[in-house]
Amino acid sequence: MAEKAIEAKKKGQKKSSEDYTYVGMVFHRLTRHKLAMVGAFMLIFILLFVFAGPLIWRADPNAQIEGLGGMFNLPSRAHPMGTDDYGRDVLARMFFGGRISLFIGFISAISSTIVGAMVGLVAGYYGGWADNILMRFTDAMLSIPTFPLLIALASVLGKGVWQIILVIVFFGWMVDARLVRGLVLSLKEQEYVEAAHAIGASANRIMWRHLFPNTLAVLIVSTTIGIGGAIIYEASISFLGFGVQAPFASWGNMLQNAQQFIWNSPRLIIFPGLAIFLTVLGFNFFGDGLRDAIDPKLKL
Amino acid sequence: MRDYIIRRVLGMIPLILIVMIVSFGIFSLVPNPFAALIENPRIKKSDIQRLIKAWGFDLPWYLRFFKWFSGVVHGDWGPSLLYPGSTARDVISRALPVTVRVMGIEFLFALSIALPIGIISAVKQYSVTDYIVTVISFLGMSMPTFWFGLLMMMLFSVVLKRPSGMPLLPPGGIITPGLEEAPFWAKLGDRAQYLVMPVFVLAFSSVGGWARYMRSSMLEVIRQDYIRTARAKGAPEHTVINKHALRNAMIPIVTLVALSMPGIVGGAAITEHIFNIPGMGSLIIAAEIKSDYPTAMIGLLLTSILVIVFNLVADIVYAWIDPRIKYS
Repeated sequence: MAEKAIEAKKKGQKKSSEDYTYVGMVFHRLTRHKLAMVGAFMLIFILLFVFAGPLIWRADPNAQIEGLGGMFNLPSRAHPMGTDDYGRDVLARMFFGGRISLFIGFISAISSTIVGAMVGLVAGYYGGWADNILMRFTDAMLSIPTFPLLIALASVLGKGVWQIILVIVFFGWMVDARLVRGLVLSLKEQEYVEAAHAIGASANRIMWRHLFPNTLAVLIVSTTIGIGGAIIYEASISFLGFGVQAPFASWGNMLQNAQQFIWNSPRLIIFPGLAIFLTVLGFNFFGDGLRDAIDPKLKL
Repeated sequence: MRDYIIRRVLGMIPLILIVMIVSFGIFSLVPNPFAALIENPRIKKSDIQRLIKAWGFDLPWYLRFFKWFSGVVHGDWGPSLLYPGSTARDVISRALPVTVRVMGIEFLFALSIALPIGIISAVKQYSVTDYIVTVISFLGMSMPTFWFGLLMMMLFSVVLKRPSGMPLLPPGGIITPGLEEAPFWAKLGDRAQYLVMPVFVLAFSSVGGWARYMRSSMLEVIRQDYIRTARAKGAPEHTVINKHALRNAMIPIVTLVALSMPGIVGGAAITEHIFNIPGMGSLIIAAEIKSDYPTAMIGLLLTSILVIVFNLVADIVYAWIDPRIKYS
C-alpha cells in the first residue's frame, strides 16, 4: 500500500520516492498502518496516565488509612479506584506501579537486545568454533523452560528492581542473538565489508561501525515487541512474590496481593491486570506495524 | 537420512550438558542452607555436620556438580524436601504424567483452532474475518496467562453458579475428592470439568502466535508461481488451497510449534500454579518457593530434556516432509 502511495506521488505530484529518507519512508508507512497507530495511541495514553497522572491526582501510594473503615473501599470521589486491603489508594498505586513496570520493561528489553546483538555479532562475524560454542549455548538456553528458571534465579539473586532486570536479561537475549547472527552471516559477504577490510579496519570496528548499524532496524522491532514480553515476565515474577517487594507497588505485585481477595474485591484484580494487558497489547500492535514498515518479510 | 538422525541425536549431548550446568549453576549460588542451623542450640553440632556431608556442602562447587551429575545419571535424584519422606524421583513421577496430559490436550486443542483460522485469514486477506482473527490473535499474545486465569476463575467459579449453588466450573485441582474409584465415564466427565479452564487459558495464549504465523506462511505460498499455474490449469479453488498451498505452508509451522514448546511449558507452570494442578510446572515453582533445590533442579532438567527431544523430533519430521532440505 505504502509503495503505491509513493508511486502515486511520483506521477506528477510534488514528492517523488527519492525525496523520502529511509526513516521518512518507514515513518510514512507506519502512519498508514492502522493497528500500529492504535498501538501508538494506547502507549501515549498509558505513558500519560503513569507520568502525568500523579501530577493531577496527588495521593500517596503507600499511605494507609487507619481502621477497618479504610480497607476495601469501593470507588468513590475520594478514591476513584477504591482502596486495597491496607486502605491504600489504588489509583495512586496504579501510577507508581506502572512506572516501575514500564521501567523494568524498557531497561530489560533494551539490555537483552544489546547482549543478544553482541553474541550474534561475534558468532556471525568470526564463525568457526566461536560460532559453534555460542550457538550451542544459545540453543541450550532456548530449550530451558524460561519461567521456572526465572523464578529460580530471582529467588537466588534476591528481590529488587535491578535483580529482576538482570534475571529477565539473562533469559531474554537468545532470540536477538540468533537474529543478528543470521543477518551478519549475509552482511559480512557484502562488498562494503571487504572494502573496510581492505583499508585495514579492525574486527571491532567492522562489527560495531559497519555491521551493527545495519542490524539496527531489525533490533528496534524486536526490542519494541520485547518490552511487552519483559513487562509480562516482571508481572509474573512479582505475582509469585519473587519480584518487586512491598510497600513499593508494581502491577504484578498488586495482582499478587489481590489474588486472595478474588471472592469479594474483584476490582483489585481487574485494574492492574487490565493495565498490563493494554500496555503489552500496545507494544505488540506498534511493534507489528514497525516490522511491516521496516521489512514485511521479517520473521519475528 | 540415517546419518542426519544420528548426527542430531549426538548433537543433543552437549545441549543437555549445558542445560545441566546452567540449572546446577543457578542453584549452586544458594548459600549453604545448613550454616544457619548452627545458630540453633537445639540441634546437635554433629547432626549438622552429618547433614552438610550428606548434601555435599563440605565439597567445593565443582565437586558438588560431579556428585550431583553422577547421582542424576544413576537415577538417584536425592530426597524431596517439599514432601518429607519421599524421594525427588517419586514426586516427579507423580507430576510428570499430569503435565503431559494437560499439555497434550492443550496442544491439540490450540493447533486445531490456530491452523484453520490462520489459513482462512490468509485466503481472505484484508477481509473482516482477517481483521477479527488478527485482533484476537494479538489479544491472546498480549494477555498475561495468570491474569486471564484469574478472570476465568472469577467468571466461572464465582459469578456463574449451577442451580445447586455449586460453581459452574471447579476453581482448581484435577479431580473431585471421592470420585477416584468412580466408573470410567463418570470419572472422565469429572476430570474434563477441571481441564476446561486451564486448557482454554493456555490455548488462548498459543493460538494467537500460531495463527499469525500460519497466516504469513500461507500468504507467502499463495504468491508463488506454482499456485498461479495450478489456477491457470483450471483447478478448483479448494484444490489449489488444500492440495497445493496448504502442504507447503505447513512446513515452517512444524519448527514454530517445536520452538514454542519451552514457552508452553513455562506458561503452563504459572497456569498450573493458579489452577492448583499437581504437574511439573507447579511442582518446580512450589519447590523453588520452599527451597527444595534437589526437586527443582531435577524438574528443570527433565522439562528441558523433554523440550530438546521434542525439538529433535520436529527437526526430523521437518527433514522428512520437506524433500528440499539437504541433510549434510
